[in-house]
Amino acid sequence: MNKQHWQRVSPWALLYFVIHFAYRFIKDGIFNLLPIAVVFVTQVQDKLFWGKIGASIAVVGLLLYSFAYYVNFRFCITDDHDILLNKGVFKKERLTLSFLRVQNVNVAEPFYFKPLGLVNCIFDAAGSVAQEAVLPGVTQAYAEDVREQVLTYKELQQVVEDQQTTDSEQVAETLYSLKLTNKEVAKFGLMSNMAILALAALAPFMNVLFDFFEQAVINRLEAFYEQEVGLLINAAALAVFSILLMLVMLAVLLSVIMSLIRFYNYELYFQAGKFKRISGLLERHQLSVSLDKVQSIVIKKNLIARLLQRYTIQCFQATSGYVTGAKSKQSLVMPVLKHEQVNQTLQRVYPWLSEANFDFKAVKFKGVEQALLLKNFLFYSLLPSLLFGLFNYYVVASHALYSICIFVMLSCLVYLSYKRYGYYFYHYQGRYYGIFRSGMLGVQYRVFELYKAQSTRGVSTYFMRRVGLKSLSIQLASGNVSLPYLKATLADEIIDFTLLQAELEQRNWM
Amino acid sequence: MFENHQLDCLPQHQSIEFKPLANNALLHAQLSWLLFYVPLMAVLAAACFFNQNFASVAQTPLMIGLPVILVLSLIFNIISVRLKGVAVRNHDIAYQKGVIWQQVTILPLSRIQHTEIHRGPLERKLGLASLRLYSAGGMSADLNISGLSHTDCKDIRQFIQDYIQHKQAPEQLQNNQSVSAELTNE
Repeated sequence: MNKQHWQRVSPWALLYFVIHFAYRFIKDGIFNLLPIAVVFVTQVQDKLFWGKIGASIAVVGLLLYSFAYYVNFRFCITDDHDILLNKGVFKKERLTLSFLRVQNVNVAEPFYFKPLGLVNCIFDAAGSVAQEAVLPGVTQAYAEDVREQVLTYKELQQVVEDQQTTDSEQVAETLYSLKLTNKEVAKFGLMSNMAILALAALAPFMNVLFDFFEQAVINRLEAFYEQEVGLLINAAALAVFSILLMLVMLAVLLSVIMSLIRFYNYELYFQAGKFKRISGLLERHQLSVSLDKVQSIVIKKNLIARLLQRYTIQCFQATSGYVTGAKSKQSLVMPVLKHEQVNQTLQRVYPWLSEANFDFKAVKFKGVEQALLLKNFLFYSLLPSLLFGLFNYYVVASHALYSICIFVMLSCLVYLSYKRYGYYFYHYQGRYYGIFRSGMLGVQYRVFELYKAQSTRGVSTYFMRRVGLKSLSIQLASGNVSLPYLKATLADEIIDFTLLQAELEQRNWM
Repeated sequence: MFENHQLDCLPQHQSIEFKPLANNALLHAQLSWLLFYVPLMAVLAAACFFNQNFASVAQTPLMIGLPVILVLSLIFNIISVRLKGVAVRNHDIAYQKGVIWQQVTILPLSRIQHTEIHRGPLERKLGLASLRLYSAGGMSADLNISGLSHTDCKDIRQFIQDYIQHKQAPEQLQNNQSVSAELTNE
């Protein structure tokens, strides 16, 4: 670091801090206050008086904290192309962010800064979502200037990298295209859980909807069934069952509609190291994903997809954590693919695999150790079944058959989950890949190049160490992959080799 | 590991010798726990004092349970701090922690996106600091090492920054040369 010119933000930034901390307080802190709220509601006599006192203390505290935060907040753009932030009141923090690590610089203009001509300069890094690199209340010109500095610097780095890549990979690539019929897209609606999104949108109106259903539908259905089949079975139960069936059908229908809205006339092109997807009913949405940026791909096949013999592929890029919407924006979805299409796509993402005639389905995965089956059987099958059985026997006094059914069902699920775990490592022309398989009723394969690993973790308990076992977890820029209950020597070998790849490989991972 | 490739001898992370945390780390852990625990006990005691119904039901279990939990927690903290350790190698940083689930996390220095040093009031008083290292894709810090001395923290951060700058320097030089050559040609 050669020179550091520390600067303060404008006093108007205080407004940002007040609003920001008020929002954080409501979002994160409200649940922590629940015990106090319980004591307040149950124990305090003069609630209005003490409520006012409490609210006043909270407001004054918020203002004081925001002011102290503003006073301590300083930033610096160094000559070494780093952004430094000093912040914090009780906990002093120093944040160092290199220009190269900045994915994008966003300039946001909140409504309260509009009359003042000020903006927030937000540095979008591929780090954690818990991180904040925001310069609040800077002038538009300054924010644009900083953005220019960062992006110019990054472009300079990129120019040569691109040159090197194109020089070394002057391979004539043919255009690959994939078009899905809307009938296939509708199948994706059946496979996916997009209805949940639609139901989430309806959540605020649920109470009204339930009231409406009860008054307008259930009561009438009940009357109808009573009249028609009242003597045979319980009319009220039949009415509720009909409503549930209708809701399931509605969810499936919504899912299909959502799927069509998103993937209508789905077209996927691949050329010059980039995937381009065009789809959408209401809006034709284009999404381009460069292969260099793909961190890992996931091939999924859930229960319904197994019946339909279709797969879904997701290409993940580096994410900034699981912030709302960020995950979906960063991933390219290729729905309802057949087995041969999966192989073709896989070979585009990792082109050198095509030379090896790689077929992911024919891969012989190695499983995890049997101790996992025993542990899961004990904790997730035997214990819950015993508890259920005791509850059944002493409280409900119902038939023991229910407990046996629960035990058999849980045991089957535990066994399926154990059998699904698998791993396969593949080496081709100096490149090393890992394929991790997991699932229960469905199955999912995650394929990634080892050098893209961000960190590794080995976990073991006392009993695991005694029998020489270890669980392994590899953090990728697109999420976490893990394998439980491996032989400790193997887990260590995987960790060591992955680290060696991450540390010695010269190719850019991002 | 690979069916189609024989691995050569690898540097092994099992042989890492972890450096224990600073001397005051245990005191910090105990005080932090007490700062949470004592107010909780005070609230429960106040509830017993003002609410006789609650006191008649909960007083005896609380009188027995709370001191037991306190002692167990303090013992747990001692074991936990003793099992923690950090090691900086040439190309990565390793952190060991955990009592029941013992884990070793290793983060290559080239993957670090940014670093943070946190110092709370207690940590400042005890000359300690927490180092947080972030890589891509995580929900929070990949490594959150608390209980280091402030000097160690600064040294590690400096080492990481130097490593990243040295790694970038040849690339930058190469890039700048290529760009200037390109501009001259134009």
